[in-house]
Amino acid sequence: MRADSSVSTRSLAKLKYLPLNGPALKKLVEAGLTWLRTNQQIVNSLNVFPVPDGDTGTNMVLTMQTAYDEIMNSPEYNFGKLAHAVAHGALMGARGNSGVILSQIWRGFARSVGNQEILDAPSLVQALAVARDTAYKGVVRPVEGTILTVTKDIAAAAELALPDYDNPTDILVEVVEAANLSVQRTPDLLPVLKEAGVVDAGGKGLFFILEGMVRYLYGLPLDTALTTVQPLAAMQLENTLESIEPGQDFEVVVDFQPRDTLDLEGFYQNLEAMGTSIQLGEGDGIYRLHIHVPTEKRYDPIDYTMSLGTITKVSIENLIAQMSSIEAAAQGSKMTLAPVEPGQIAAIAVSPGAGISRVFASLGVAAIVEGGQTMNPSTQEILNAFENLTTDRIVILPNNKNIILAANSARELTVKKVAVIPSRSIPQGLAAILRLDPNGDFDKVVADMTRALDEVESGEITTATRSVEIDGVQVKEGQTIALHNGKLLLAAASVEEACMRLLKESHAEHFELITLYGGIDLPRAELNRIADLVRREYPEQDVEVQDGGQPHYQLILSIE
Amino acid sequence: MTGETNPLGSIHVSPRAIATIAFHAARESYGVVGLANKNLVNGLTQAIAKDPTHGVEVQYDGNRINIDIYIVVEYGTRIKSVASSVSNTVRYHVEKALGLPVNQVNVHVRGLRISEVD
Repeated sequence: MRADSSVSTRSLAKLKYLPLNGPALKKLVEAGLTWLRTNQQIVNSLNVFPVPDGDTGTNMVLTMQTAYDEIMNSPEYNFGKLAHAVAHGALMGARGNSGVILSQIWRGFARSVGNQEILDAPSLVQALAVARDTAYKGVVRPVEGTILTVTKDIAAAAELALPDYDNPTDILVEVVEAANLSVQRTPDLLPVLKEAGVVDAGGKGLFFILEGMVRYLYGLPLDTALTTVQPLAAMQLENTLESIEPGQDFEVVVDFQPRDTLDLEGFYQNLEAMGTSIQLGEGDGIYRLHIHVPTEKRYDPIDYTMSLGTITKVSIENLIAQMSSIEAAAQGSKMTLAPVEPGQIAAIAVSPGAGISRVFASLGVAAIVEGGQTMNPSTQEILNAFENLTTDRIVILPNNKNIILAANSARELTVKKVAVIPSRSIPQGLAAILRLDPNGDFDKVVADMTRALDEVESGEITTATRSVEIDGVQVKEGQTIALHNGKLLLAAASVEEACMRLLKESHAEHFELITLYGGIDLPRAELNRIADLVRREYPEQDVEVQDGGQPHYQLILSIE
Repeated sequence: MTGETNPLGSIHVSPRAIATIAFHAARESYGVVGLANKNLVNGLTQAIAKDPTHGVEVQYDGNRINIDIYIVVEYGTRIKSVASSVSNTVRYHVEKALGLPVNQVNVHVRGLRISEVD
């Protein structure tokens, strides 16, 4: 089952044979924008590098939004004139690489249609060819396997279709089909995509814009991503608690393997009758369904999916109870930061979670800046943390290699005497803070703390957001991965396996103390179970367990 | 020289090597149709240069890497977006290759190439 199969031609084409004039173009642009926005996260998730920071979808939506704003209230009846307005809007709103290319495509398209009242089939084919040429002219060395390739393939498909059709909308249908195939081929042309196991994000975005137009012509819905299935790893279930609707008391997650190809439209319709916050993910033929349902319907999604195939796993959680425990946890997270006397050395630590913040606070940190792997704090936030402290001698522990730079910039923006201890992980930061002597000689304290960084081995365990190969380690998306001192060490099937293998590879038996910091996603019971296994395996070492509360990393280990 | 010392010896990367990385990254950025020499101020540009560091200046003061890059942009694109994506791409590629943070990437738009008039 391909998630992004094009519009079914069996559907009734209500609007298909309307003339393509100004108002029709306005509708098509709106449809393209809406459909792109609906699928924005899918485009964002097509990120080549295994960090969740993709924004191609967002950039393309913002570009299309400005284009649509330009024509939204226009009474223009002439297709060509309105196309120029779209191109102008896209140019003004162009964001990012993909946005700039998109604006060039519109620019070429508009130039070709001139001021034709109504667009006919030959003009559409011609306009797509000019759009392609304009897009290619914008770069010295075009890279194939990108949105550029997609413009080339759709222009070719349109030309090929011209002898068979008189109606431009028929050609548009062919174009969408070609765009889909072209996007699927991008990994064959661009090795970096193949390595990361994704298709090109910009090309996919262009496909959604075009598909939205055709969906509109067929009268298909645009506001809900009905027929899309996201990769399993891209499912963000942790945020769904925020969107609980009254009456939906239970969260049901079912993993299942359908007997036949899933009829997505019918599937969604049946589920919508049961509850809200429906999400569907797929990976290697296994589907994961997520839904919020009222108490009396808590078993319905399970019965329903069982009728479709084999269920491999079910989890039901009481949302109301979860909400209250989250609120309770938030209240219990008060911590006391170390007071600072004028002239003393104050330490600032960047921390990704409440539990880790508390550990830092208990070790004498004077201020905490929230941040971590995916939420790097700004220079300003770091500055704010220490500008108000009553001392002018500051050491900063960035605790992440991506934050060291911001910390260094903060040092240059203040009159205070600031040193950045380049800690690249939480365990390094903790090792360094133990050497803090608030009344010591500044240079000596900084040197001591910096030296402490190398005395600890850090391990981090997280879930791979996509399939990739780095440093000779093969990782499949959704697998648990372990990083040793910041470098990818291994991929494993579970947190437990990753933890035990990481300890083995880092020769934990030669150290004295192993500390496990459990992440927000790792249940306390699981953390304790893993800790017991570690204690059994390493009877000579002290094993400590802390509730770290960090996101993304199920486990952070410190071996010293 | 950008250096690092490890137990086996030291590694030095020259500004020229960094410039080559930046040059290629800039040339693959969408909207950039050429790099220009800093010294030829008005319009005289060379879109295709033999020198792999043409239009790029790298300064390294022993601590921070600063890159200045002089580009010619396709007329009709949004210059601000093109320049900021050049800046991001160059920074990304240099940091990825060197493993060292880049302090500044300054993008100078030296000219526009008009290949089509609307």
